[in-house]
Amino acid sequence: MAAGTLAGIAMLVLGESHLSLPGYLMNPLYEELTTQGASVHAIGACGATAGDWLKKVEVPCGADRFKGDTVFKGRAATTSPIKELIAQDKPNLVVIILGDTMASYDNETFPRAWAWQGITGLTKEIAATQTPCVWVGPAWGTPGGKYFKNDKRVEFMAGFLEKNVAPCVFIDSLKFSKPGQWATVDGQHFNLAGYQAWSANITKALAALPVVQGLKK
Amino acid sequence: MIRADLTFRDVTLRKILSIAEAYAREMTCSASLTRLTAYCAGLMLSGLMFSASSHAADIPLYPTGPSADSSFVRFINGTDAALELTAAGSKAKVQLDLKTPSTVFYPVRAKSEIKGQFSLAQSKSDISTSVKAGEFVSVIALADGSKLKHVAIGEEPDDFNALKVSLALYNVGTTCASASLQVVGRDVMLFEKVATNTLTRRMINPVKISVQLLCGDQVIGGPLELGELIAGERYSVFAVPAAGTTRVFIVSDAVAR
Repeated sequence: MAAGTLAGIAMLVLGESHLSLPGYLMNPLYEELTTQGASVHAIGACGATAGDWLKKVEVPCGADRFKGDTVFKGRAATTSPIKELIAQDKPNLVVIILGDTMASYDNETFPRAWAWQGITGLTKEIAATQTPCVWVGPAWGTPGGKYFKNDKRVEFMAGFLEKNVAPCVFIDSLKFSKPGQWATVDGQHFNLAGYQAWSANITKALAALPVVQGLKK
Repeated sequence: MIRADLTFRDVTLRKILSIAEAYAREMTCSASLTRLTAYCAGLMLSGLMFSASSHAADIPLYPTGPSADSSFVRFINGTDAALELTAAGSKAKVQLDLKTPSTVFYPVRAKSEIKGQFSLAQSKSDISTSVKAGEFVSVIALADGSKLKHVAIGEEPDDFNALKVSLALYNVGTTCASASLQVVGRDVMLFEKVATNTLTRRMINPVKISVQLLCGDQVIGGPLELGELIAGERYSVFAVPAAGTTRVFIVSDAVAR
């Protein structure tokens, strides 16, 4: 294994739709992380919120990539309880890439209580296993589109996550680009160049975190 | 607007209490509790089924949040004696005493009617309340002479923060029109002039402190040790009537998971 910035780290990476299609975040991020020496199990589940990773929930699509094998799933896709995943993989770092599915872009009122319940439910489950974790927040999209993503709400969502994901360390994806800089196909999901840029930035930010540097072997 | 036609699961007080009863018996989070807290996931699934018919080019459409925020209710014993909480139309009971004066916050369907009864010996107080979306309602049983009554106080918090402690003062002391909490040993007021049947909430650092209740300018009772307050957790101090005066106790604002 190359002696990269993430050498020796076994990562469990969980995400929403961004991590569920090959041309999205799944392949470029997996490749960036493994190039830097990490051993990665990445699972995407379209539409999954934080609370959906506490149990098995059916989702309309998803993907699972582990040890080079990738399975992209349609309606057979599900989430899995985080405790089971951690017990099975025994990662030394959990990375959550989640935000857009909880932002309620089409609703004037942000569902704070629901979001808080889901986020803290997931972080407490991870903390109970004493596995360090990192939460990667949403990136800027392009206003409008079928998900009604908008700059004001995505900024609010990132701020809400930053305040509520502890003990996970928060990575603010909004710092990786300017609003609208990464082109999207539907306001929310990026084209390949956007996902490649997001992947490179996530990998770089992960490697710079003290909690990650402490894990390197 | 693309919105899923979401159907809430009917969560009644009877269901809550039957689950609470099992919870109290096992002292662990049971499968039933999980079923209760899973109602939001049910919403998501409903939304996802809806989304299948709205298939887009690359990825099926899905909602980016629930159609309504979560709602919660809990029950507090603000009397000096052990009492029972019963759901309407059910034999399920939960006992609340001085050692365990509070239930956890249970997720409930917004705007649904929550019906039940507090009972203490022959005294009873019928509960009928509802909870708004995003609201956390505390139903507090109180002594009313030799009878029993209750008040329901709701809050819609916007201070969620995993790095701080969230602490509230609920004042339901009938002889304490203006309640304050002072940090013992320091000239610092945590809460000031909280009117009867209202609450005030604030963020504090996760420190170990004791507090002293004041009604108006009058020191009431002895200090209350708040214990080790944990960052990210939420707590409530209740000021309740007690034999012509007012006493305070602290509970965790834990949510059933």
